[in-house]
Amino acid sequence: MALSNASPESDDVSAPQTQLVQVQSEDVEDEPFATLPISANKFLNLLDTLEDYNTTVPNTITANYLSRAGMVTSDNRLVTLVSLAAQKFISDLASDALTHCKMRQASNNNIKKVNKEKKYVMTVEDLAIALEDKGIAVRRPPYYQ
Amino acid sequence: MSEPEPSDPLRSCLRMAVSSLCTEVGYDCADSTALETVTEMAQSLIVELGRSARAFCELASRVEPVSADIVLSMVEMGIPVQGLKEYAMRSNRVTLPAPAQTVTAKQTAILHTGNKKRHPGHIQDHLPEMPDSHSYIRTPTHRQPVTDYESVREKAASQKRDVERALTRFIAKTGKIHNLFKTDDSNLFPLISCEKEEEGMKLPPYLDALMFKDQVFEEDEREYLPKKRKSSHNDLDDDDEDVEKKAKLDESLAEVENIDNPFLRPVRLPRPVKTPVK
Repeated sequence: MALSNASPESDDVSAPQTQLVQVQSEDVEDEPFATLPISANKFLNLLDTLEDYNTTVPNTITANYLSRAGMVTSDNRLVTLVSLAAQKFISDLASDALTHCKMRQASNNNIKKVNKEKKYVMTVEDLAIALEDKGIAVRRPPYYQ
Repeated sequence: MSEPEPSDPLRSCLRMAVSSLCTEVGYDCADSTALETVTEMAQSLIVELGRSARAFCELASRVEPVSADIVLSMVEMGIPVQGLKEYAMRSNRVTLPAPAQTVTAKQTAILHTGNKKRHPGHIQDHLPEMPDSHSYIRTPTHRQPVTDYESVREKAASQKRDVERALTRFIAKTGKIHNLFKTDDSNLFPLISCEKEEEGMKLPPYLDALMFKDQVFEEDEREYLPKKRKSSHNDLDDDDEDVEKKAKLDESLAEVENIDNPFLRPVRLPRPVKTPVK
């Protein structure tokens, strides 16, 4: 069953990785997070704090996409989790691309020019470089047919 | 390249959220291609997380996914779980005001009449509504037609009057008219012109009433005349002054002999009796 209103009583988790599987079984109901690694445990603590969290990506949209995939849940916090994960991914990506953009601008502008162009435009080139680090290859056709 | 119309409202909402995220990071503007790419990645990420979570939960013989399923999905996809809490608690987060997931305004039927019936219990709510009650409910009217003599007579008279008036006005509007007054305005009292022109002569309008047109049958029949009549015909010719006209009249009169109706018999002028001179 869903681990709702889970307030883990014990934070000391030293269970090996293999015991992670036990979480999925319904036998462990007394201490839901007892057998999890620390990181996962902390993560699941997050669930409590997400009661009324408003993500940038609205919950309804995420819920819609999840239902397309087959995940239908009545628990809004799970939906928030998913949208948070997506958001973080996008933010990281965007910030990487922004870094590249700034580097490019810094290298392009002469030292004479003090006021450098402050407009940061997200281009596919910056995005491609940022995505390369993540292992995603973005190739853009040189011209549109 | 911008789409002419948003095909998927979900997608456009997601695109808005993604662009707000980019703004939050520090961007001022973005290539549309780049934005679409990022949106596509966001969408596929969400979908993949959902699919993967579902798969994990079904693997564990469950029906509803649990938070741990999501954790496992993220781990499998390589998304770091660590920094999520810090990210959630960031100070400059932008929250979109849950973009108007407003229900489309119900199209108020312009021709709305009766109340619609509710769905009966066995019909789902997402199915179309019942039609307006007036489209399938009817009450036969039992109003009797008016049959009393007075109103019927009155109705007939007024209809006749209206028909006559309408017809005369029609002919006046479409045909030649005389003006009753000498003004140029012909709309006041138009009189239907009954001038007839035949062979260059203007004939009086009442000529049709005088000519016994309905009593002239065939040309052939005119020749066939009984002998008796011929003799009286000749006598009359001598006596009368208007020879031609009388002749004509008599000819036509002769034909009427065939009609049995005593009231329709022609007038028989008395024969002048010749008194012998003593």
